[in-house]
Amino acid sequence: MELEKHLVDATLEVFASMIFIDITPAAPSDEPISVLEPNLSSLIGLAGDLKGILAVHCPSAVALGITSAMLGMDVTELGEDAKDAIGEIANMVAGGLKVALAPTGKKIELAIPTTVIGTSIRTSGLSGATRIMIPFSSPIGRFGLELRFILA
Amino acid sequence: MAKNVLLVDDSSTMRKIISRSLRQAGLDFGEIYEAGDGQEALAVLEKESVDIVLSDINMPNMNGIEFLREKANRPGIKDIPVFMISTETGDDIIGEAKSLGAVGALKKPFTPDKVNEVLGPLM
Repeated sequence: MELEKHLVDATLEVFASMIFIDITPAAPSDEPISVLEPNLSSLIGLAGDLKGILAVHCPSAVALGITSAMLGMDVTELGEDAKDAIGEIANMVAGGLKVALAPTGKKIELAIPTTVIGTSIRTSGLSGATRIMIPFSSPIGRFGLELRFILA
Repeated sequence: MAKNVLLVDDSSTMRKIISRSLRQAGLDFGEIYEAGDGQEALAVLEKESVDIVLSDINMPNMNGIEFLREKANRPGIKDIPVFMISTETGDDIIGEAKSLGAVGALKKPFTPDKVNEVLGPLM
């Protein structure tokens, strides 16, 4: 199953349609998310034939840049706007994954996104889950997309 | 006559993007009301004069499908058209939404041009 491709395609579509920041995916990485030094992470739970979490991890500058672009205004504080904006990106990428998997007969149910702000953010998933981490580069910095999942 | 619009989405960012897209598309609308879930949307519909609702599906408290079902049982507001804007665009869930009265659906993410193309005829 081409999960990495589906994740990259869904992320590219979100940024091209609604954020208008050029992003470039790197090869999937085994590195921990700490290499991205994230200060804001939005996570969305997945249930159904693919169980786990999908997360978007951003350093402060990237989260603020993305939020500013989405809202069309200068956002300088890592607060509710940034939590909501990055959470919506996680939601749309998860939705893209759901649509991409539908023709294979795999059904996913999406939860409501949760966002955390802080330092030294770490994630853990279901026991035995597979992990995919895709770093993206952009003019405002790097961010990462992480999927921890178990396929039914 | 310009139509009053109710945006229903738990994401304030998405409500702002949709509102901006409507303006950028040059569509003729009057007041824009906002609600964060289906329960809030029902309260707005009972209070304000709304001509069309643009609603997400995946929301806390009362999701878009539950909102459609509840709205259909309220005589004063049941005929106000609802257009779904959601990441949830599978045939099964959109089919259910349409069976409950939704008049169409737009997939997130979307571009302002797509908003104009899809929502223009309704405005």
